[in-house]
Amino acid sequence: MILGIDIGGTHTDAVCLDGRGIQATAKAATGEDLVDSILEVVHRLGIDYTALSRVVLSTTLSTNAIVEKKYAPTGMIVSAGPGIDPRGYFLTDAFLLVKGAMDHRGREYVPLDPEQVKAAAGTLKAKGIHGLGVVSKFSVRNPAHETAMAALLEKDFRYLSMGHTMSGSLNFPRRMRTTYFNTAVMPVQERFVESVQKALTKLGIHAPLFFLKADGGTFASSAADRLPVETILSGPAASMMGALALNSHTKGAAFVFDVGGTTTDMGILVNGLPILEPGGVDIGGVKTLVRGLKVMSVGAGGDSCICLEEGALRVGPHRSGPPACMGGNSPTPMDAFTALGESTPGDARKALEALAPLAGQRGIAVDELCREIISVMAENIRQKAIAFVDEVNSHPVYTIFEMLHPEIVKPERAILIGGPARLLKPFMEESLGMECEVPEHFMVANALGAALARTTAQITLMADTQMRRIVCPELHMEKEAPSTLSIEDLKSIGIRALHDHAHILGISDEIEINVIEEQSFNMVRGFNTVGRNMRVKIQTTPGILPLWREQ
Amino acid sequence: MMEAKKKTGLIFFPAYDWEISPTHPERKERLLYTQDQVLEEGVLDIEGIREFKAGLATEHDIGRAHFCVPDVGSRITESHNVSAGGCIEAARLVLEGVVDNAFALVRPPGHHAMRVVHGSRGFCNINIEAVMVEWVRRHHSRIKKIAIVDTDCHHGDGTQDVYWHDPDVLYISIHQDGRTLYPGSGFPDEYGGPNAAGMTLNIPLPPRTSDEGMLHVMEEVVMPVIDDFKPDLIINSAGQDNHYSDPITNMSFTAGGYARLNDMLSPHICVLEGGYSIESALPYVNTGIILALAGADYSYVREPDLDPEKIRQDPRITEYIKRLSGQILTLWRTRAGLRPERREFMERSRSIYYDTDGISENQNEVFRFCDACPGVFKLDSAASTGYHILGIHIPHGACPACRDRGQSWYEKPGGHYYAVYLQDMDQDLYMVRRM
Ligand SMILES: [Zn+2]
Ligand SMILES: [Zn+2]
Repeated sequence: MILGIDIGGTHTDAVCLDGRGIQATAKAATGEDLVDSILEVVHRLGIDYTALSRVVLSTTLSTNAIVEKKYAPTGMIVSAGPGIDPRGYFLTDAFLLVKGAMDHRGREYVPLDPEQVKAAAGTLKAKGIHGLGVVSKFSVRNPAHETAMAALLEKDFRYLSMGHTMSGSLNFPRRMRTTYFNTAVMPVQERFVESVQKALTKLGIHAPLFFLKADGGTFASSAADRLPVETILSGPAASMMGALALNSHTKGAAFVFDVGGTTTDMGILVNGLPILEPGGVDIGGVKTLVRGLKVMSVGAGGDSCICLEEGALRVGPHRSGPPACMGGNSPTPMDAFTALGESTPGDARKALEALAPLAGQRGIAVDELCREIISVMAENIRQKAIAFVDEVNSHPVYTIFEMLHPEIVKPERAILIGGPARLLKPFMEESLGMECEVPEHFMVANALGAALARTTAQITLMADTQMRRIVCPELHMEKEAPSTLSIEDLKSIGIRALHDHAHILGISDEIEINVIEEQSFNMVRGFNTVGRNMRVKIQTTPGILPLWREQ
Repeated sequence: MMEAKKKTGLIFFPAYDWEISPTHPERKERLLYTQDQVLEEGVLDIEGIREFKAGLATEHDIGRAHFCVPDVGSRITESHNVSAGGCIEAARLVLEGVVDNAFALVRPPGHHAMRVVHGSRGFCNINIEAVMVEWVRRHHSRIKKIAIVDTDCHHGDGTQDVYWHDPDVLYISIHQDGRTLYPGSGFPDEYGGPNAAGMTLNIPLPPRTSDEGMLHVMEEVVMPVIDDFKPDLIINSAGQDNHYSDPITNMSFTAGGYARLNDMLSPHICVLEGGYSIESALPYVNTGIILALAGADYSYVREPDLDPEKIRQDPRITEYIKRLSGQILTLWRTRAGLRPERREFMERSRSIYYDTDGISENQNEVFRFCDACPGVFKLDSAASTGYHILGIHIPHGACPACRDRGQSWYEKPGGHYYAVYLQDMDQDLYMVRRM
């Protein structure tokens, strides 16, 4: 049995399932202490703990720590060389610049000065800093400077992250921030895992602990200790994966709308897989290299404010407090549902009272107004959905083949989850002009998504046969490249490495591996081919555990 | 924090699956390291800089600028459609106000492609700037006066040819002296046709000119001329083969120099032309140009191996460039006097060589020296491929007499042609008649 727990801002949901289906679900309020919330919801499930084979958590822990800046002071030592002035990207005065430069092929042209690095570390330690990130420009092509800094300083800092291990993608400013955030949340994650483990052991739960990541996959808590930054934004990932699990189709493209109180989060599933954000996700307005799902938030939810502007009815994008039917002061879409006689937890009399003046101003009956409100909300969502699809389809391509054979994403169905999903369904169908599915168990979709998501990892390999080098940054691996190395050889090396390092990446055995990007260029200097420059990205296929699909 | 003062659009199309041949300078690898550098510097994350998808130019778009022989389809590959389409997209973004300026970082290049296209010249099949400019004139009629500043190391003889008779397009080319480099043209006495005298300005610089010389020309010639002409649209044909590390040229420009040049010129659109130092120059030059267009700080962008002492400009070169700059500026200011004595028809003949494809062409032009409009012309062109064609160009704003003359040339060409072509710019009509 698998236990999935989604710790949201207000509620903590749990779902327990096995090959036969969902065995138990439970809900509890999220309190100050997340471990207490976990224990409470697990207690409410009333299941046999010894039968659990895996526990998966989706938490807002690292997201909140980063957004609310609730982390210990963290230091960064950065080498950059010429280019854009790196100091423009420093987030605090604990970012220190040292000498050292690499070029785009990973050739060193300014060496590191160990004394300067040690002096920088001294400055940071004098500030009482225990966490350090080391980053150099083009470290994913040659991690030598980051590795050397880490080797010099690993004894001096309790928490240490190297930029190249965060991601194999190029983007120095994002690498700096990702490494900074990762180091900053390491202590937070460490304390959390420790107390969760202790509490679960006390209950007699010995199943391994996994965390949901922003990309909709999971990884073992040992890997989460090293890369806690990957657990940011797991909330939207949980809802997308939940919708994926609950979705009756696996072919074609579908919208997912997770309708909440303040916002509706949307994503797109294509042939059973969610679409990813190409460069990495944003957190608190800061761009990172963390691989994550492409989601867009619309200011339209059950608690959105309603007003008249020059005679036109407006819904959202802001929330003005709880719905009138729940004791609030002004009408919301939730009041419209309640007034229409839908079964909601609200008080229909209060809803009608709040809506009546507005209906009077418009000179229409209250139920007509209610339908208009919900139609406007559905229309707001539709407009953003069109913009979202346009954005997905306008992504640049770099080959003639892709230019002439574009893969156009065109959603044909929608999946609605979240509180008001069932009530909104007919209005969304009308507005979108497509079938909208509200799956069974949609109220625990997030916990289900966490429980059922496969373990995922991605690695990047770069081979330069002229320099005789193969680098795989995520695995912190460097190998000599034979001059005869082919792209097929490089792919096999990557696939083997992914298997061999599964424990480091925190992925389990039941993985399928696929190559998602491959490029091979002859390097010509003068009129001679002097080598090959090859790049490969390999991932474990994300998605839903097969046990669920076999039902 | 990095900040862009302007909104800059980037159309990046490296055509990773297209090459002239595996070891040719125009090969798949050409923009690979540029992409690496731009991505690693996080240029595309700078607020204000945005990447857009290239588009596809149609046969009709190409027909506005060229007579392709025997037809468009056989003279180009899909990559040309995308590189010209990328330029059109850059222009669209600027003219629709989506961005303040844009850079079409596309390949293959185009500035050696002339109006008649029998094959590939200097790695160019179609003139991507000309296709773009004609698209602009068709779709945004408020754009009347256009300046193209070509800073590729080679003389842009193709662009010069397309706009030779056009009084509304100012073409300025700064390049390595044609006595020392392909295509061997681009001297100050090539200043445009009878009705457009002075609208072509060639500024040939001696080998080993450095940033100092280039920026002197910008300050003392290009900027005063642009200020005087007051164009509605400024285009930089941003070739990067003037770089000190370029393998096929002999100049000494740096990435910093290119960035300053664009900062000064402030073009609406930059189009990549040549530049074959794919590892040591392009990554830095392109990063510098993008930052300069966006109004962001480019002062730290520098080549890793830059040694200013090694490329310091000889004082004799400095003197030469000062003198030359004075002459060119005078030429511009006295251009009214360059108009030849008026005759109704003026003829010129020349031979054109297509080095990439090994084709020779003999061309005879008849131009109607009109005082009511830019003047209709016809080109009689015979190539070593066996094709002999006649191309007729009825210019923008053609007067009734020129239009009638063009139409009668098209209807009764005389002689034995494989095909007769007609470009009627005001009607946006491009026709081919097989004989
Ligand atoms: Zn050139
Ligand atoms: Zn005329």
